[in-house]
Amino acid sequence: MSLIELKNLQKIYNTTAVPVHAVNGVSLKIEKKEFTAIVGPSGSGKTTLLNIVGGLDKPTEGEVCIDGRNIVTISDSKLIDYRLHNIGFVFQAYNLIPVFTALENVEFIMLLQGLEKKKREERAKELLVNVGLEDRINARPAELSGGQQQRVAVARALASHPSFVLADEPTANLDSESAESLLDLMESLNEQYEMTFIFSTHDVRVMNRARRIIRLVDGKIAEDKHRDRKN
Amino acid sequence: MLLALAWKNIWRNKKRSLIIIAAIAFGLWGGLFSDAVMMGSVESMVETAISRDLSHIQIHKTDYEQDKDIRNFIPAGIDVIRDVKQLGEVAGVSGRTIIYGMAASPTSSFGVKINSIEPRYAKQVTNLDQQIIDGDYFASERRNQILIGKKLGQRLNLKLRSKVVLSFQNLEGNIAYIACRVTGIYKTNSTPFDEANVFVQQADLFRILETEPIVHEIAIRLQNAEVLDPVVVRLKSNYPDLQIERWDELAPELAYLSETTAIYSYFFVAIILFALLFGITNTMLMSVVDRIRELGMLMAIGMKKGRVFAMILLETIMLSLTGGIAGTIISVATIAYYGHSGIDLSAIATSLESWGASTMLYPFLPVVMYIVMTVMILFTANIAALMPAWKAIRLVPSEAIRNY
Repeated sequence: MSLIELKNLQKIYNTTAVPVHAVNGVSLKIEKKEFTAIVGPSGSGKTTLLNIVGGLDKPTEGEVCIDGRNIVTISDSKLIDYRLHNIGFVFQAYNLIPVFTALENVEFIMLLQGLEKKKREERAKELLVNVGLEDRINARPAELSGGQQQRVAVARALASHPSFVLADEPTANLDSESAESLLDLMESLNEQYEMTFIFSTHDVRVMNRARRIIRLVDGKIAEDKHRDRKN
Repeated sequence: MLLALAWKNIWRNKKRSLIIIAAIAFGLWGGLFSDAVMMGSVESMVETAISRDLSHIQIHKTDYEQDKDIRNFIPAGIDVIRDVKQLGEVAGVSGRTIIYGMAASPTSSFGVKINSIEPRYAKQVTNLDQQIIDGDYFASERRNQILIGKKLGQRLNLKLRSKVVLSFQNLEGNIAYIACRVTGIYKTNSTPFDEANVFVQQADLFRILETEPIVHEIAIRLQNAEVLDPVVVRLKSNYPDLQIERWDELAPELAYLSETTAIYSYFFVAIILFALLFGITNTMLMSVVDRIRELGMLMAIGMKKGRVFAMILLETIMLSLTGGIAGTIISVATIAYYGHSGIDLSAIATSLESWGASTMLYPFLPVVMYIVMTVMILFTANIAALMPAWKAIRLVPSEAIRNY
């Protein structure tokens, strides 16, 4: 069974006079441990597709099966729980809680899961060490660089033991050095934890690292290419 | 951690939070201090009336209120006084022989209530001895001394050592006279009282009336007001044929004033909190709007709507309580200061004295008022949180993250 299976996914926005097909008949399978980039020009439906896979948006038609379970039919309140326990998110603008330290930001998602304080703290510290922020544990987001903030976001995404991580344009706000460093980290986490990463991006640096590239044009899959990682 | 997050969120925009906290604090301070002034004023009126003549409990013959004839005295009143003195909760008992008559000076006359008392017992019940502004409180052994109020003195053109003739109906229904010498002039906080009441010694009156001691009124002062109910119950059981009345039955207007002031006090604070409610709601709405992307993120990663609602509610409660606590501290300090030193209202003494209020005002607020106020703040915070919290949980995470 594939980790993620999308079946004839459609997403139509009727907000304008002419309906917009943001996602138009997408069917694909993503296996465990994949390092996949969904690419395409602006308006091609990358983010919409990622939102639907992440349970943040509902398709107009089609199925989103994760580990064989169609999440489209799950109620909104159960879907929040589902996201909490199964999906890790990394956002373009980091989206950390500004009043919390790096440690607290990573801990917070485990608090939502109901983990006890000691376990939360241990895992949060371990993850922050793994993303190379052992000396910035008590720093607040405003005291961290963009690259460091995105590393905290990655640690937070992993903290809930998700089945996969969705990253929406994770390098868009980073300089080259930070972007490369973040991608190194994600690759190593992909290897180390066998964590599945799915990116939406039009950053060449991400595309160069991805082992599978799904190209979207006008909401349809124009190309689905598997390849070996470049060294 | 949710509590910590809520608390930290309040201080994201320090200036905005401090403004609303200050508004709550000073609004409450204004409300509570005004309440304390009102309550202190009423308490002062009650205490003044009790100490001046009312006392805590009065005993009369059952129909005395309808028929204040000199012959309508308490049967075996002296025995009742003796028995009541034995009660442990009683601080003082004074038997009063009361006659309504005329006081005449060489220039004028005026209808007065002649209060005939035993001075050493009367001073255990009322504080007339402390209100003497000229002369003394039956200090000498002379016969036919009279204490008059300053206002009556002005009306009848009487001074210390002036001669006053009291005329009244005696026990046989004939007119009797007693010529008295003014040995003391008193001044209380009530001008009408000072104008209408004169005090003579019972021995002088009984001599003129040629009677054994009789009393129309037994005034009882208790050790403290808390024992009022049980003492009244016991007296009613011991003297079923007599009229036993508490101070608030004797002066229902004071009791009404005391009760309505308490209600107005809550109402006053409620109005202030109602006005503040809009300010708090506005502050919290701005706070939510500032954090739409973050709230969307929280819901995206798995924070349930109930928790988001609870977080906004907690923030509102913490914000309101911070203002409430600050306001309470300022209020307690101000009320304690003026409660000790008093507020001098002698500039408007004339109008205050016309309705029996003291010119020194001691603000006072019962502890229960602070407790009720805390509950009212919590209630206000809950109401104020509804709209911002509702706005927060209505957010669609994907839109909130992307569009804000």
